[in-house]
Amino acid sequence: METLNTTDKIKVLYLDDESHNLICFMATYRFDFTIYIAPTAAKAYNYLEAHPDISVVIADQRMPLQTGVEFFEEMKVLYPKPVRMLITAFADIEAVIDSVNRGSVFRYIKKPWNDDDVKSAVEEAYKFYISNSLLEEKNKELASAYRELGKFAYSVTHDLRSPLSSLLGALEVSKDMDSLTDIREILGMMDVAVRKLDDFIKNIHEFYSIKRGLASIEDIDFEMLAEDMAIMFSLSAKMDNIKFTRKVVQGEGFCSDSASLRIIIINLLSNAFKYQKKDGTDRFVELDIEVRDNNAHITVRDNGIGIKAEHINSIFSMFYRATTEQSGSGFGLFNVKDALERLNGTVEVSSAPDKGSEFRVSIPNITKKTPVTQ
Amino acid sequence: MNYIVIDDSKLDCFIAEKIIRNTKNCASVKTFLHAAEALDFIAANKASDRTVVLVDIQMPIMNGFDFVEAFQKMDPGSTENYNIYIISSSINENDVTRVRQYPSVRQFINKPLTANNLNNLLGAYEPAPFN
Repeated sequence: METLNTTDKIKVLYLDDESHNLICFMATYRFDFTIYIAPTAAKAYNYLEAHPDISVVIADQRMPLQTGVEFFEEMKVLYPKPVRMLITAFADIEAVIDSVNRGSVFRYIKKPWNDDDVKSAVEEAYKFYISNSLLEEKNKELASAYRELGKFAYSVTHDLRSPLSSLLGALEVSKDMDSLTDIREILGMMDVAVRKLDDFIKNIHEFYSIKRGLASIEDIDFEMLAEDMAIMFSLSAKMDNIKFTRKVVQGEGFCSDSASLRIIIINLLSNAFKYQKKDGTDRFVELDIEVRDNNAHITVRDNGIGIKAEHINSIFSMFYRATTEQSGSGFGLFNVKDALERLNGTVEVSSAPDKGSEFRVSIPNITKKTPVTQ
Repeated sequence: MNYIVIDDSKLDCFIAEKIIRNTKNCASVKTFLHAAEALDFIAANKASDRTVVLVDIQMPIMNGFDFVEAFQKMDPGSTENYNIYIISSSINENDVTRVRQYPSVRQFINKPLTANNLNNLLGAYEPAPFN
């Protein structure tokens, strides 16, 4: 019973016990809408089941087995999505007003109908249907965002509170300490807890700025960026006796969001410096950047503690920590992944426990006109 | 009394150890940064005296809940002297409710551990509700 073009037209189901009304309706509107006609409620339900994209249902009020209002009361429960419209003569107006008020019927069409009235009523009903569907979609998105927020808040309260309760505990214990050596020892540990908290807050800020901030695409000079990194990590390198080397080959221009790019490189380097072997002698961290064929290839390599094979797939998850290393927040690589998604970049990891890790990142050049995905 | 502390934070292990050593009847304290290692230790050493086990919840790789679940699967005859207490900085209701569902867990303690709440917990000692 479908008309020729079924793709873009509004799908309308018409239920009426009088067959000449059905045929007349079909003849009048088949060019405007895709029409399904049903002489009985059973037939109407068959159509609703087979075509879930029917968006408007019209029913006659006066039918022998069931009135249109009764049919709609039932249909509202079984198929709530299509918009319901009643065709009725003036005699039934009280019942109709009542059903409109109870939300069973979107609006009614007076009998005998006028061609343009029906057409505009169907179009109006369709608009209502679309905005309801969009609203439902948005509600789903909101519900999912809200669930995410719950998870986020849970982890955040834990990660904020845990260093604080450590500090409180440490203060409590230090009240009974007389030896300066003991006090120095505990101060050293408190220092780690405070840094952990500080790192965590910085990471949340990073996360927030990637999520909400607008990307600003600019020319990237990797030579300068690498030099910045060398300065930023010079203290770690010196304190922990780690050799930092950098190599940059940039033969062509490269545009990207510099904030996201920095988040990626800083987090990878910070991990490379952090997860070093305690007793390692020739400790190193290497940063290689090569720009070719419109792509930046960034490699961060270390000979640190490495990552066990069973943890590699999880390291980019939020709050995942594969080690009890004190200062990890489980946020760093998650932020890397997030920033990479923004820049349409990819990352590969190879690592072996006790041998070290290598993170290879590829990021495509962004021409200034292409907007970055939000 | 013997003690086992399981916490991925070195500082928290240190604090717990200090506080425990300050109590009057402390025979031994063992600290573990990894729950799995503590589990191995318990499996290999049947405690002849009461041993208080303080377990953190949020730990990487094996968290406190994983630990308790694995502990409950062990032979009750060989673990009867190990008394599990959860100690966490979590203020989340779900965590507290979840802790109550484990029959082997005697109590939930909020961090930081202090001499006071350690004494309270030991004072409130009751024989194991199941074996």
